[in-house]
Amino acid sequence: MADRMEITVNGKTVGVQKDSYLLAAVTDAGFEVPTLCHHKDLTPGGSCRLCLCEVEDGGRKKLVTACNYPVRGPVTVRTDTAEIAQHRKILAEMYLGRWPGVPVVQMIARECGVTTSRFASEITDDAPNACILCGHCVRACDEFMIERVLEFAGRGIKRHLTMPFGEVDHHCVTCSSCAYVCPTGAIEIVDDKNRPLDAKAIRDHGMKVNAEMATLDSKQCRMREVGTANIVDVMDAYDLLPVHNYKFGKHPEAKKLYSTTLKAEYFTQGAADACWRGCSMACAKAVDGFTLKTGPYKGQQVLVDGPEYETAAGAANMGCFDGDFCVEFNFYCDTYGIDTISAATAIAFAMEVFEAGVITTKETGGIELRFGAADEALTLLHQMADGEGFGVDVGQGIRWMKEKWGKDGEHAAFLQDIGMEVKGLEFSEYVTKESLAQQGGYGFAIKGPQHDEAWLIFMDMVNKQIPTFEDKAEALHYFPLFRTWFGLMGLCKIVWNDVVPADNAVQEEAHKIPGHVRNYWKFFEGLTGIELDEQKMLDQSARVYNLQRILCRMLGFGTRKDDMVPYRAAGPVTREEYESRADRYDGQLADVVGVDPAGKSTEEKMKILRDFREGQYEKLADAVYRRRGWTEDGVPKVETLAALGIDLPELVEVIKADQ
Amino acid sequence: MASACKVKAGDLGKIADRVNASFGRYKAMLMVCTGTACVSARSFSIRDRLALKIAEKGIADDYLVVGTGCNGFCAVGPIIVVQPEGVFYQRVTDKDLDEILEQHLVGGKPVERLLYEDPATGKVHTRMDEIEFFGKQQLIALRNKGIIDPENIDHYIARGGYAALGKVLEAGDPEAVIREVIDSGIRGRGGGGFPAGIKWQSGRRAAGERGEVPYVVCNADEGDPGAYMDRSIIETDPHTVLEGMLIGAFALGAREGFIYIRKEYPLALVRLEKAIEQARSYGFLGPDVLGSGFAFDVSIHRGAGAFVCGESTALMASMSGRVGEPRAKYVHNVEYGYRDRPTVLNNVETWATIPVIMDRGASWFASIGTGDVAGDPWAGSSGTKAFSLVGNIANTGLVEVPMGITLREIIFDIGGGIPNGRSFKAVQTGGPSGGCIPASKLDLEIDFDSLSEAGSMMGSGGLIVMDDQTCMVDVARYFIDFLVDESCGKCTPCREGLFALKRILERICRGEGEEGDVQFLEELCGTIGATSLCQLGATAVNPVMSTLRYFREEYEEHIRDHRCRAGVCKELITYRIVADPCTGCLACLKPCPTQAITGEKKKVHVIDEEKCIKCGICREVCTFDAVEVV
Amino acid sequence: MIRVNDTNVEWRSGMTVTLALEAMGYDFPLISVFVNEQFVPEIDHDSFEIPDGADVKAIHIHHGG
Ligand SMILES: Cc1cc2nc3c(=O)[nH]c(=O)nc-3n(C[C@H](O)[C@H](O)[C@H](O)COP(=O)(O)O)c2cc1C
Ligand code: SF4
Ligand code: SF4
Ligand code: FES
Ligand code: FES
Repeated sequence: MADRMEITVNGKTVGVQKDSYLLAAVTDAGFEVPTLCHHKDLTPGGSCRLCLCEVEDGGRKKLVTACNYPVRGPVTVRTDTAEIAQHRKILAEMYLGRWPGVPVVQMIARECGVTTSRFASEITDDAPNACILCGHCVRACDEFMIERVLEFAGRGIKRHLTMPFGEVDHHCVTCSSCAYVCPTGAIEIVDDKNRPLDAKAIRDHGMKVNAEMATLDSKQCRMREVGTANIVDVMDAYDLLPVHNYKFGKHPEAKKLYSTTLKAEYFTQGAADACWRGCSMACAKAVDGFTLKTGPYKGQQVLVDGPEYETAAGAANMGCFDGDFCVEFNFYCDTYGIDTISAATAIAFAMEVFEAGVITTKETGGIELRFGAADEALTLLHQMADGEGFGVDVGQGIRWMKEKWGKDGEHAAFLQDIGMEVKGLEFSEYVTKESLAQQGGYGFAIKGPQHDEAWLIFMDMVNKQIPTFEDKAEALHYFPLFRTWFGLMGLCKIVWNDVVPADNAVQEEAHKIPGHVRNYWKFFEGLTGIELDEQKMLDQSARVYNLQRILCRMLGFGTRKDDMVPYRAAGPVTREEYESRADRYDGQLADVVGVDPAGKSTEEKMKILRDFREGQYEKLADAVYRRRGWTEDGVPKVETLAALGIDLPELVEVIKADQ
Repeated sequence: MASACKVKAGDLGKIADRVNASFGRYKAMLMVCTGTACVSARSFSIRDRLALKIAEKGIADDYLVVGTGCNGFCAVGPIIVVQPEGVFYQRVTDKDLDEILEQHLVGGKPVERLLYEDPATGKVHTRMDEIEFFGKQQLIALRNKGIIDPENIDHYIARGGYAALGKVLEAGDPEAVIREVIDSGIRGRGGGGFPAGIKWQSGRRAAGERGEVPYVVCNADEGDPGAYMDRSIIETDPHTVLEGMLIGAFALGAREGFIYIRKEYPLALVRLEKAIEQARSYGFLGPDVLGSGFAFDVSIHRGAGAFVCGESTALMASMSGRVGEPRAKYVHNVEYGYRDRPTVLNNVETWATIPVIMDRGASWFASIGTGDVAGDPWAGSSGTKAFSLVGNIANTGLVEVPMGITLREIIFDIGGGIPNGRSFKAVQTGGPSGGCIPASKLDLEIDFDSLSEAGSMMGSGGLIVMDDQTCMVDVARYFIDFLVDESCGKCTPCREGLFALKRILERICRGEGEEGDVQFLEELCGTIGATSLCQLGATAVNPVMSTLRYFREEYEEHIRDHRCRAGVCKELITYRIVADPCTGCLACLKPCPTQAITGEKKKVHVIDEEKCIKCGICREVCTFDAVEVV
Repeated sequence: MIRVNDTNVEWRSGMTVTLALEAMGYDFPLISVFVNEQFVPEIDHDSFEIPDGADVKAIHIHHGG
C-alpha cells in the first residue's frame, strides 16, 4: 500500500503519499497556488502553468507545475519565490490580454497582481464566456463518459475546441458534462429536451456520480474495466461463490473465471456498451471476435455481451471453470432468450441429481451430466432452446424437475433440499448458508430468490452489523423498499453502491451509502418538484411492495409457506458438505447452539444443526412479517394498507380471509 | 540477393566473403547517388540508363552500377563515384553517360569536365578524397554512405554488418551491452543529448521492477526544416538502424520495436520497408534472431509531419492514435511510455551508431570527441555528429565530423566558406529553436554543452550559415513565425507567448518598435523558456535570446533609428539606382512587377518609391551593381 | 487478543490494520475500518497499529452484483 513520506512546503512539513500530486500537498499544508486548468475531478491538464512551484530535490532546484508533479521523494517546495511571482504575472497577463472579459481570468489576474495586459492583440476576445482552452470539457468527455467527442484542433495560437471535423458528432451522448465543468460558460446547453423542473439540481447530483466514476472506480471495484465480474474474485475469496449446485463457496480452479482472467483474455476494452448512452459507468463489458465452438452459429465470430458476475458464477455452479465455456454459454443464452442464471442453476441441479444417481443416462438421453461437463451443458442448452431431448425437462425449471423425479417419494426430500428455487424461480448465484439475513433476502423476495431486493451477506455474515432478528428484519424492510423504489424510478443500482463516495465511511449509516441515496432523491425532486426524505421514499415504495404481495396472494402465492427456502440455502444437506467445513459447523454447534459436537456422528450433528437453522429461519420470518406489518402468515394487514392509504376495497377483498 | 534461408551468426562471414569476392571480379563499380536530392535531379534515370548502356555494350561482367544513399555533397549532385579509384563526377546528367562509358571505362581517361573544381582555389580534383569537403569528416553513422546499395542487405553484411549483433547475442549478456554503451559516452543525437546507455539502464530497471516487456522506438520524425541527417542515414544505410535497434532491444529485453517516420520521407520509407523485409527473410528480425532464441521485430509508424511530434511524449501520443501533444515528463517514457510500458526512444543517428560502438568498443568511441566520458557520459560529448550544412555557404550538404571540431573548420574548411564574396555573420545551430552564434565564436569547439553555453544547442544538427546580408531581427522573426505554427498550442506560455513574440518582432521589423520592446522581449522569453511544458516552448526563445545577446544593436537600430543594416526589412529600406554605375541597359525595367522603374536606353534609370514594393528583383538582375539599398 | 467483526484474533505487537485484514482474509477493495470506533483512512492502513484488546470493525460495503 501507499508509501508515506514527508516533504517541506514553504518551510512547513507535510505528510504525503508517494506519487500523489504536489498540489494536494501544497493545499494540505495550507497554501494556495493559482490554477486555471486544474479540476478536482479530472486528471491534471498541466497547460495553464499557473500552479508553478519550485522544487528542490537533492540540491537541484527546478520549476514544476504542482498539479501534475508526482511527489516521489522528500523534496523541499516553495510556492512563492520572486521568480515564480514574475512568471505567474506574465502568464496572467497573457490570459488577461486574450480574454479580458472572463470572470475567472479576471480573478486569476487579481490573484497574480495584474491589472493591465501587454498582450492585447487582434485576437483578443472580450466575451465573458470565451473559451480559455483549459481543457476541462475535453477531459470530462473522456474521463467521465469514456467518449472523446471533444478535442482541441489547430496548432499553436489556432488551437480551438471542436468536435471531429467541426461537425456535431453523434457520439455525443448529450450528457452535458462539458458544460458543467466549463469555468467560463463557453459551452451552453441550448435545450433540455426532457424539460425537467430543475435541471440544475439533477445535473449537480448527476455530475457527482460522473466524477466518482472517473476518480474512484479504478480504486474501488474497477467496474468500468471488468463490469460486475469484479466480484467473482471476491465471492471466491469469501467462500460465497456457488460451486457444484451451491454445495461449496470456493474452488481452486475459480481463478479461471476471475475478472482478472476475463479482462486479460476476453474483454475487449472500449467495446463496452452502457444500458443507455449517457451512462458514465457503462458496466456492460463485451467479448469481441469470439469464435463459437458449438450450436447453430458454430465457427462464426461473434460479439458477446458479457459475461457478468452471475454468468461466470453460474459456470462455477456447474463446475465448469472454463472461460471459453462461460462466454459461449453466455452467447447462446442471450441468443435463445434464456436467462443465464436460471439456466445455470437448473443445469447445476440436474448435474447433482445425476451424480447422486437419482437420474441416469436413461433420463438424460445419454448425456453424462456430471459437474464440470462443459460440452454436455452446452448440448443441453441447445436442446432446451430446440425443445428436444433432455432439454425439455431441464428447460422447465427446477420446481418441475423436482416434481417429476420426486414423484415416487423415494427422492422427494433430497430433491426438495437441493433444488434451489423459491416460488418456482431459480436462485441467483450466491451461497447463503452462513447468512440468515440473506436466506431471508432470497426467501421473502416477492418474485423469488433474486438478490435485487436485498443483498445482506457482508452486513450480516462478515461485518456482523445486524446480529439480532430485529436488526435483520429492519434490513429486510429497508433494503427491499429502497431498491424497489429506485427500480420503480428506472434508476440503476450500480451508482448506488458499486462506487461509493470517498467520505462514505465516516457517514452515519454508511452501509446505506447515504450520499448516494440522497442523489436519488435529488433526481426525483429535480424531475418532479416533490420533496423527498427517507420516510416518504419508503412509503412510496411500500405502497407498491404491498400491492405486489397482494397480487401474489391473488395468484395463490404470497404466504409463509411460499417464502420458505430449500435447506441447501441454509445449511449443509450432505455429509460431504458438512465435512468440507466441519470446523466451522462443529464450532457453531458448540458456541451458538450449545451442543458439544464431540463423539457425535456427522449425521447427528447435521440433524442438530438443521433443526437449529430451520428454527432460526422461522424466527426471522416472524420478525420480518412484524416489521412489514404483515400477518404471521406473511399477508399484509388491512391496517398496514390503511396506514399507507391503499386500503382499497378490491385489495382488502383479496386478503380479508387471511387476517 | 540471397535466398530466404535463415542466417546463423557463423554464416555472416561467409556471406561477406562471397559478396566481396563478387565485387572483386569487377574492374570498377559505379556508385550513383540515389539520395533524395540527387533523385530529384533524375539520378534514378542515370542509374538505370547507365546500367542499360553497360549491358548493351556487353561489359556488364566488368562494371557494376550501384545506387547508393546520399553521398553528402548534395550541392553538386547528381554524383557518380567510380570505385575503387574514387573518381568523383558531379552534376552528371543523362547526356554525360556515353562519355563516361567511352572515355573513362573503355578509354581509361576520366572525363575532366565532370570533375569537381574547388571554387576557392580553382583546382580540379579527380578523386573524392582530394576534395576538401570530405577531408575533415569522420564517418561512423554514415560509414557506408556512397559505398553500398541500401536496398541490398548483402552489401551491408559485406561491410561487416550484423556482426556486432552476432557478437552481442553470442556473449548473451545484456547488462554488459548497457555498460558498453554507457562507457562509450554516447549521448542522444536527437537533440536532448541524454546519455543513451543511462536511458537504457533506466528502461531495463523499470521493466524489471514491473515485470513488463519494454519497447524500443526509433525517432525518425526529423521535423527541423533544413535538417536531413536522419533521412539520409535511412536512405543510405537502413540496416545499421535496424542493427542498432536489435542490439538495444536485446540489452533491454524488448521484443517489439517501432520506427516513427514522417510521411514526407517516401524514399526513406521504401528503403526501410525493404530492409525490414530482407532482415526478416534472413532471420535477423523475427522469433529467433540469428538462431539465438532472441525474438524481436520492428514495425513502422508513419507520422503526419508535425514538428512537435518529434518530441518524445508527443511521439508516443501520436503512435497511440491520440493528438500529438506533449505531456509532462515528470514520469519518463522509460517508465511509462508507449502503451504505458517502459519505452526507450532514440534518434536514428543514435541507433545507427550503436553497431559501431559494439564492434569497435566503448573506449575507441570515447576517445573521439570532447571531454573524458570514461567515468561519466555527461562529462563530455564523445564520437561524431552528422550536420546538414545549409544557407549562405559554398558547399551545402551533409557531413559527419568528430565532436569538438570548431565551427570555423566546418564552415570554412569543409563548407568552403561564404560564397559571392560576402562575409560570415552568424550560424544558427540546432534547428528552428536553436540560437545564432556570431563570428566571434567561430572557434568554439562544438559539443552538446559548449553550444548550450553559447545560447544555442546541438539540436539534431542543422547548421544554417548566414552572411552579412542577413538581418538578425528578421531571422528571429522568421524562426518564431515557424514556431508559432508548430507549437502544439497546449500550454499557455508557448501558445500565447510565441504569438506575442511574433507580433513584437514583426512590429520592430516594420519600424514600429517602441522603447521598452527589448526589455519586454527579454521578460517574455524568460517566462516562455522557464514555464513551457515541453522543450519546444522552452527552447523556442533561443533565436530571440541569442540574437539579443549577440546582435542587440541591430534591434536598437531598428527601434530607435528605423534602420535595417542588412537591408532586409522592407519597411525600413528604399531601393535606389545609383547614377554612376547605371549604364541605362533597360534590364531592370521589365522584371519589375509594379513597373516602378522608368528610364531610357543609355540614360540613368529611376525607381518610383511610391510604386516600389521592395521585392529586390532589380537588384538581382542588375549586372552593374547599380541598385542600392538604403 | 483483539476482536475483528466479533471474531477473536490473536494480537501481535506491531499489528497494523493491513495485517489484521490479512489475518481475516479480507481483501475486498471497499472496506471501512474502525478501531475502537475511530475511523482509520485507507492510506493509514499500513502504518496504523492496533492496540491489544481493541475492537475492530471492518465494514465491507457491498450489496450484490
Ligand atoms: C519539439 C521537439 C522536436 C523534436 N524532434 C525530434 C526529431 O525530429 N527527431 C529526434 O530524434 N528527436 C527529436 N526531438 C528529441 C526527442 O524528444 C528525444 O529526445 C529524442 O528522440 C531521443 O533520442 P536520443 O536520445 O537518441 O536523441 C525533439 C524534441 C523536441 C522538444
Ligand atoms: S469550453 Fe470551457 S471547459 Fe472547454 S476548454 Fe473552453 S473554457 Fe475550458
Ligand atoms: S511548449 Fe509548446 S509545443 Fe510544448 S506543450 Fe507547450 S504549447 Fe505544446
Ligand atoms: S493548474 Fe494549470 S498547469 Fe497546473
Ligand atoms: S542526395 Fe546525392 S549527394 Fe545528397
